[in-house]
Amino acid sequence: MLFRKKVNFRRGIFRPPIQAYEPIKTRVNTYLSLQKEALNTSFVRLWVTPIGSMLTILVLAMALALPVSLHGLVENAQKPLQALETTSQISLFLKPELNNQSGRRLVEILKRNPKVSTAELITKEQGLVELSELSGFADALSVLANNPLPVVALIKPAKTDVSSVSQLLQELRKLPEADLAQFDTEWLNKLRLMLEIAEQCVTAFSLLLGIGVIFIVGNTIRLELQTRHEEIAVQKLLGATNQFIRRPFLYAGLWYALLGSILALSLANTIILAVRDPANQLASLYGSTYQLSFIDLRASLLMTLTAVLFGISGAWIVVSFYLRKLDPAKGTKH
Amino acid sequence: MIEFKNVSKRYNESGDALSDVSFQVQRGELAFLTGHSGAGKSTLLRLIPIFERPSKGEIILDSQPIQGLPIRDIPFLRRKLGLIFQDFRLLNDRTVFDNVALPLLLSGHNRIDVARRVRGALDKVGLLKKEKRMPLGLSGGEQQRIGIARAIVHKPPIILADEPTGNLDPELAGEIMRIFNEFNSLGVTILIASHDLNLVNRFSRRTLQLEHGKLIKVVTEHAV
Repeated sequence: MLFRKKVNFRRGIFRPPIQAYEPIKTRVNTYLSLQKEALNTSFVRLWVTPIGSMLTILVLAMALALPVSLHGLVENAQKPLQALETTSQISLFLKPELNNQSGRRLVEILKRNPKVSTAELITKEQGLVELSELSGFADALSVLANNPLPVVALIKPAKTDVSSVSQLLQELRKLPEADLAQFDTEWLNKLRLMLEIAEQCVTAFSLLLGIGVIFIVGNTIRLELQTRHEEIAVQKLLGATNQFIRRPFLYAGLWYALLGSILALSLANTIILAVRDPANQLASLYGSTYQLSFIDLRASLLMTLTAVLFGISGAWIVVSFYLRKLDPAKGTKH
Repeated sequence: MIEFKNVSKRYNESGDALSDVSFQVQRGELAFLTGHSGAGKSTLLRLIPIFERPSKGEIILDSQPIQGLPIRDIPFLRRKLGLIFQDFRLLNDRTVFDNVALPLLLSGHNRIDVARRVRGALDKVGLLKKEKRMPLGLSGGEQQRIGIARAIVHKPPIILADEPTGNLDPELAGEIMRIFNEFNSLGVTILIASHDLNLVNRFSRRTLQLEHGKLIKVVTEHAV
């Protein structure tokens, strides 16, 4: 048939004309009732098989806890590193023939340099006192006829990133008064690079385990579909739309992912809590009051949202595949 | 209301289940479909809610041809039908109430409305006191009546029943037929497939007789 009249059984046909066009309010109410029904069904189904549901949630939590904990670790390592960077300074050793007076003049000039945050002078005498206090060389030093130490300027760079610091270093080394300018950045750089690698790993893990969430939820839903085959068949016989059948499973995917995320966050924070005390002790050995922080709110929300999205997607994919096989056009018997 | 025009259904394995069947059931009519088992009664009934598509021919419901209906609109067609199955097709892990409520829940009625209508339907089939029971704990006749309550709860304009009295003793069968009669008098179009000729003959209604997938005889109600 070339021109077939468009048939629409959603409205018209058997319905009395007065109901043919439902007002918006009725449609909204219908929609809300359907959502409520699906929500209800999803809870009941979770509850009917408590052990199965719990196992799924546990597996999800394990999968999610790994990247989250790793993220927490990297975050926690980065903060003291940043603190180290802001306290790091350049030691500018002046030529040995220069006296405190010329040192003082140089420091005044340096203070006016915009690349310099603070500059401080350590005179020959202060240097000697510090050295004898720190090194226990007091006796040996007292033998010396005159002070062999140079005048030193301690300079804090205004910007602590690698390129700004090395620029400043270049500049300082060109000064006629300068003998040696030192900034111990090597190990800091290495540590930072390592953390960068760790961060990339966190991203990669998150992606992998996010896809894992799709599979875990998908597989659970697939098993559930098998046990509910008859129920779904009857629903279809009585005129359930595919959305109606899909909806409770999407909610199930949401609950699995949401509860899994909450459990994963609790796990990660428990780990942090467990290592908190020893970490604090370690920090105090270095004279720091640094404290480990829990997983921050932003990361927690991001992870939960992503997991929920992937959980719902997993359910959607599996149910849609299943429903496609039930189409009457494909000749499958109900 | 229901019209078949030269409808055939062929399964690959076993020849024609229906061949060249044409008939009409008028609006507000109650008609029987008889024939031995395997004559094609169930196949014919399965074509109307599009559980399957015919291989040839045209089916028209309320002057609308249904074979062009897109898959996504099939559920809305089925909601206009009250279906009663030979094997009941009840959900055995749900209460009687929940089983009967299903057609209403899937079209989005609110819970209060659902409760009112479900109790009304259960009252009609005499199962009001058993709404909290599970179907498997009830007799065959009672399960069949749950099925009937589920088929009428959403007040469909057409009821299709496949051997609705097949599992019942004559007394219960008569009771169920009385229920159908009652609905019919309210204007519902009803098509009942049954091989029980005694029962069919007790009601003077138009009867379509199938044999080997062919419509061999139509007995009009006056002739009975």
